[in-house]
Amino acid sequence: MSAPAVDPDRIRKELEAIVGPRRVSLRPVDLDTYARDMWPRLLFARRDGAPPPCLPNAVVWPENAREVATIVRAARSMGVPIIPYGGGSGVCGGVVPVRGGITLDMKRMQALRAVRGDELIADAEAGLSGERFERDLARRGFTFGNFPSSIYCSTVGGWVATRAAGQLSTKYGKVEDRVAGLTVVTGSGEIIDTDGPSRALGGPNWTQLVVGSEGTLGVITSARLRLSPAPQLRVFRGFEVGSVAAGVEAIRRVLQRGLRPAVVRLYDELDTFLNSMKPSGGHDDSERGHAYAPTPLPGEGALPVLPGAPPPDEDGPLRRLLALGRRGTRGLRKDALGAMLSRPRAVNGLVGAVAEKIARKGCRMIIGLEGARIRTEIEAALTFAELERAGAKDMGEEPGRAWLAHRYAVSYRMSPVFRDGAFVDTMEVAASWEQLLDLYHSVRAAIGRHAVVMAHFSHAYADGCSIYFTFAGHADDRAGSERLYDAIWRDGLEAATRVGGTISHHHGVGLLKAPYMFGEHREAMSVLIGLKKTLDPDDIMNPGKLGLGGSGGPA
Amino acid sequence: MSAELLVDLERAVGPDHVRVDAPTAWRVAPGAAAEIAEVIRIAGRHGAVVIPVGSAARAPKLRGVERPRLLVATHRLDQVIHLDETSLLCHVQAGVTGLGLEKVLAPRGMSIGDYPPSILGSTIGGLVAVRTPGKSSVRHGFFEDAVVGLSAVLADGRTIHTRLAPRRATGPDLARAMCGSEGTLGFITSVVLRIHHRPETRFLAAFALPTMDAAIAATYLALREEAAPAGLRILDGAEAEHWYGPGVVGADEALIVAATAGPTDLAACDRDLIASAVRAEGGREADTALAETWWKRRHSAEPWPGPPPSFQVTATPSKLRGAYHAVRGAVAAAGASSRCHVSRFDAAGAMLFVTFVAATGHDQVRAAAEAGARAAGGWLLGARARELDPYLTALRAALDPDGIMNPGALTG
Repeated sequence: MSAPAVDPDRIRKELEAIVGPRRVSLRPVDLDTYARDMWPRLLFARRDGAPPPCLPNAVVWPENAREVATIVRAARSMGVPIIPYGGGSGVCGGVVPVRGGITLDMKRMQALRAVRGDELIADAEAGLSGERFERDLARRGFTFGNFPSSIYCSTVGGWVATRAAGQLSTKYGKVEDRVAGLTVVTGSGEIIDTDGPSRALGGPNWTQLVVGSEGTLGVITSARLRLSPAPQLRVFRGFEVGSVAAGVEAIRRVLQRGLRPAVVRLYDELDTFLNSMKPSGGHDDSERGHAYAPTPLPGEGALPVLPGAPPPDEDGPLRRLLALGRRGTRGLRKDALGAMLSRPRAVNGLVGAVAEKIARKGCRMIIGLEGARIRTEIEAALTFAELERAGAKDMGEEPGRAWLAHRYAVSYRMSPVFRDGAFVDTMEVAASWEQLLDLYHSVRAAIGRHAVVMAHFSHAYADGCSIYFTFAGHADDRAGSERLYDAIWRDGLEAATRVGGTISHHHGVGLLKAPYMFGEHREAMSVLIGLKKTLDPDDIMNPGKLGLGGSGGPA
Repeated sequence: MSAELLVDLERAVGPDHVRVDAPTAWRVAPGAAAEIAEVIRIAGRHGAVVIPVGSAARAPKLRGVERPRLLVATHRLDQVIHLDETSLLCHVQAGVTGLGLEKVLAPRGMSIGDYPPSILGSTIGGLVAVRTPGKSSVRHGFFEDAVVGLSAVLADGRTIHTRLAPRRATGPDLARAMCGSEGTLGFITSVVLRIHHRPETRFLAAFALPTMDAAIAATYLALREEAAPAGLRILDGAEAEHWYGPGVVGADEALIVAATAGPTDLAACDRDLIASAVRAEGGREADTALAETWWKRRHSAEPWPGPPPSFQVTATPSKLRGAYHAVRGAVAAAGASSRCHVSRFDAAGAMLFVTFVAATGHDQVRAAAEAGARAAGGWLLGARARELDPYLTALRAALDPDGIMNPGALTG
């Protein structure tokens, strides 16, 4: 992971000759900032005040595709890597400069260049923030339909590069389903457009071969994205089912009848139980309030406009778990969380049993539909009826509204859980319906050996569904935390591969899942390596990601 | 050398399944994916080239290829390997035809889906390997979107199996490299397809519109309201007269025939959305029998009477009207007349099928039509993004350094 010997002055000079002195930085604070994304594993070092494992040699802010191409050609001649950087919200270390190099912050390329209502296509530059993109579209009566909880801190280019998914993906599809064409600066420094009527063009679909390449094949500088008319109607409803299996079956029936709700979420017993508890104590919620994304007002559009009350955060359920511990053993001290997380098997078992006993409610589901008024109304009625036929109990609108109100409640500060010596992360896997329960039980058991784990099912398709595991672990020191963290991912992903699932549904690969890419693709990796040689002959594009080798050329 | 090649081929697939097609060409019909891999390894050893021919009887032309040619047919790979009724997925060998698959699915209440019936005659492997327009469905998208995964043999004889999951974020979709590659990057041996329950209900409807423009506008009005018809076709006045006889609609009018399908309430909703859009554009309901005739013919084994359309062009939603008028105008200016229908609607646009009427000097008329369509922003069949050709060449060189995989394809 050591950077090659390159002369920083030469890099600075070359870059300044391209973009001028104001859009290049070699300042330590910038190099430190761009050394990582939101990958939780990198937070262990940060918590200890240790420096990042590797730094870029320089950060540059290009303003157009021509500048990007010139920078890539300069990097090629200097033999230094290029790392494209969007919002920095990735959770797999996809921007970590393992061989140093030039980090391209794309956020100065943020124009929404065109919105073609007659074609339902938008042309957006890669650095455009998701929030601004959707707000602009909403003003013009359209939506792209990708609403990840990171929408305030992720970019269009990042979405395309990682095959992202949003909360409404069951209706609108994942990002790769919505890309009509890309402008890409390849690793050889050429600008290519992959547009064209994919249905009429012979040869492979280059758009689909670049989407999801995580910067390893080139820098995506702009994208033509498919739009939908803004929804005229939105209906949300909560349901309860007796078990995970019953819920999965109900969702499958809805999707296979050709119905397309926008949101489908099924929480397993522990997730349901923790979600059903009142947000814990509230003792420090006010203090943390400003660190959250704003909450949508009732009746708002897809995105909230004004800050609202501080919502529970993404590790809220874990804090409630802690509160449960406090309640159970009066006067438990602050290290209760650590103590509980150090005995994951006991907690998984105990809480599972307690949840079942106390709640006796089974699993909660959130179903939401949106779209054109007339069709959505009919689809909603058919969906709810189908769920009831499958044994789900209608809980009315309130659970749906509650979810809607808090869905962007992501904390932008280091999670308090980390402060207390624990860690929390998420693992999103997917499989066909036939394998789905196997996937759930296998991965849950694999993670459960090491950490407290809960899950929800979301992003449903007619042929399968993704599962989103949230887990929390605890170790006494940084080395122990890293060991535990790595073991969780190793066992979890190997379990997913074993039962025939995929190791990532929408977070991407980055560094985190790179070691498992061969298990995922086997012989097909040679196709990916062929693409790498084709588009990045000198192996300078974002090295070490996607399992494409770290230093000496494609693996 | 030829003798050795023949011996190797006969050993690989059995003597009954190799025959000499020309002095340096053999027609090979492997019976298993492993046999295809073996044939490709044999080609590599003997410096022969591998040309997939699906179930086609005629051998493709090959310019400037002097090496021995193996014309590899897939008709013996005709098994439905696994039908996953829980996930609505079907794993089929490359040589299964659309019709063959429908015969397996129909008794179980399932179907490939509402694609144009023209796909039924092709093999699944061919449908996936060759990207041509006209394989689209408003309900399911482009045929390629139904491919969840596939197996293919690479030039070095290794077989790839792409992982099955409804969606993945594990790098580019590697199955997509094989889709549309016409056998140049890999030889597709089996495909896992999304399939569908047969619709609970189907409604048919026909509408008369004052103009072609109004008909296209009405269609997009309905699609914007999220109507998802199982099939929809717009016929101009001349085309309507050709199929249904005079007087169905006026010469300048247009006819829409549509089928909607799904749960009864939704199928009715979609039908009503189209009807409402038609009224908004000044149209009226026409005799449903017109749509029934269309649907019946569309799904009968025999082709529509008469020759296939002379000319096809695809256009994005905003370019359809312009392309229609440009082609019609160009054909008229070249001294001929034409009739046209528009169908195969999907998110990327639709296709115009133009038939020249009473045309002498067919080539000039066609050239005029092509020029007109291009000027109006339409895309002709067989178009390719040639500026990306160097990358395709490089990718082929990376995966197939000896150039044995269908070297004549995707080069023109």
